[in-house]
Amino acid sequence: MGAEGLKSASGDTRWAAARQLAKDPSGVTELASALAVESDPRVREALFTSLAHIQTPEAVAAILSHLRSPDAAVRAGALDVLNTMPEAVAGQLPGLLADPDPDVRLLVCDIVRRLPSAVASRYLCALLEREALPNVCAAAVEALSEVGDESALPYLARCAERFATEPFLVFSIQIVSHRIAGDGRTRGSQSA
Amino acid sequence: MSDPIPATEDEFRRLCEFLYRRTGMIFTEVKRYYVERRMFERMLATGAGSFASYFARLRSDVNGEIEQFINTLTVNETYFYREDHQLQCMTSDLLRERLRVKRAGEPIRIWSVPCSTGEEPYSIAIWLLENWPEVDQHNIEIVGSDIDTRVMEAAQEGYFGKRSLMRLSPALIAKYFVDLGDERWRILDELRQSVRFTPANLVEPGGTGLHGQFDIVFCRNVLIYFDEASRRTAAENLFENLSSGGFLCLGHSESMSRISPLFDVCRYSDAIVYQRPLGATHV
Amino acid sequence: MSEKPRVLIIDDAGLTRAYYRDILERAGYQVEEALNGVEAMEKLLQSEVDFMIVDVNMPQMDGISFLKTLRRQALPLGSTPAVVASTEAEGHDIAAARAAGANHYLVKPLREDVLLQYAALLSGRPA
Repeated sequence: MGAEGLKSASGDTRWAAARQLAKDPSGVTELASALAVESDPRVREALFTSLAHIQTPEAVAAILSHLRSPDAAVRAGALDVLNTMPEAVAGQLPGLLADPDPDVRLLVCDIVRRLPSAVASRYLCALLEREALPNVCAAAVEALSEVGDESALPYLARCAERFATEPFLVFSIQIVSHRIAGDGRTRGSQSA
Repeated sequence: MSDPIPATEDEFRRLCEFLYRRTGMIFTEVKRYYVERRMFERMLATGAGSFASYFARLRSDVNGEIEQFINTLTVNETYFYREDHQLQCMTSDLLRERLRVKRAGEPIRIWSVPCSTGEEPYSIAIWLLENWPEVDQHNIEIVGSDIDTRVMEAAQEGYFGKRSLMRLSPALIAKYFVDLGDERWRILDELRQSVRFTPANLVEPGGTGLHGQFDIVFCRNVLIYFDEASRRTAAENLFENLSSGGFLCLGHSESMSRISPLFDVCRYSDAIVYQRPLGATHV
Repeated sequence: MSEKPRVLIIDDAGLTRAYYRDILERAGYQVEEALNGVEAMEKLLQSEVDFMIVDVNMPQMDGISFLKTLRRQALPLGSTPAVVASTEAEGHDIAAARAAGANHYLVKPLREDVLLQYAALLSGRPA
């Protein structure tokens, strides 16, 4: 069975075809076209996984385009598989964090979280400085709660000031800033 | 080391969220003391002076710290009748469910992966003989698989020490094992022949296809060691190795919720298990 | 009657869960949490709740797929009331959430008074 299996009426056959193409970099076009029309969530998972295994720039681009899907399940599927391959998309993350689509900026914060802390923190702080939407800032703050260090504190403070009328964001920034500052205190006392 | 400063509420939560995201393991407040002690052991071993420096080390997986930490959190040891509530679930619910949809005479296939030195697949065999009155009426096939062929050879040989048998009653030991003296036992030939051992690699795409489809798969305490990409492939392999409507049992602190949306969640009185939906793959 | 209403917060963002928890606990609700739709199913099958607050974008199982799955369950579990809270104001999530069986749809970030108003509505107690 080759790529034609992707067009079968049977979900099981499409699933098997999708998985088989994981080892075949020439299958990217077929996998990407199948992904664009696949309605069975399980087959979609297999298509995403096979593209992630191939991991050529074309394969990565095919996955990334689905972050823009109007269907939440498709967006979640794309994000999940991108989260298994943060290195493969690392170079594109600064661009995606400046994407005109706020949903893309918001979702991408979760991938950034998987980068080494210093890089991740830098990207997220840069986003906080220019981001106009509170929900996107909240996603960046969420990621900073894991990767942020002291250098993020002034960015967080400025963000809280800018969104002083958004209680959720103020609440979140307070927690994260406290976390980061608290860590600094512990480290200081230990080295003393 | 003087008694460690307890982690703050916030630190504990951060650690748990990270572990959950990275390994799929769930630890609730009830396990807080246990998790904290393990974390302090690792802080001591790595020379980390604070939660922050240890957490940074764990996040970056310095010298395989994630695996090291998981090792302290799980009993990295296999023994007969481990997590037997799932064996109970198998005989009280899962087999009945499977028999409802199987053709008469069709074999019941059960897979233990990874099977390590054989304690799990042999436990399944003994449990069925002891707890399933219908056992003689069915054709049951038990397969044990592991990526490590050396442990499988040991499994096939069937020699066990005292620790492996610690959960079995003296009556069960006498019934199913030959006492070789010096705290060594060998499982009865009849049981050795009832389990088939074959190698399998869960993280190779399609790497387990030759094993065919099973009614029940036990895959316990291994997915937590895989990174997100490997877990995803393993979940797809396991899905393929289940018959339509077949069941997957994970370890007790594991959850499919961080691994894959492919399976349906099922609750029975003795355990939460995961099911490949009945019928076509369609949702 | 003296039992606290139980709410399940389903959201992958720890800070969002902390925010809802803070508000709802102060108002006398008993709060449970799940980080995505699969975990929510695991929790609900073990112990039912009076209502849920469901995020849309979540790993493994998004909020809309979760609602579709939940609404296929036997009653009363399958009819557990749900508020969907989404970051997306454009509209396709609203239609999808309604079709999947959401009782209400709110756009994030939620404010305390709105959250409490819907919590009261869904748990059937005075605001």
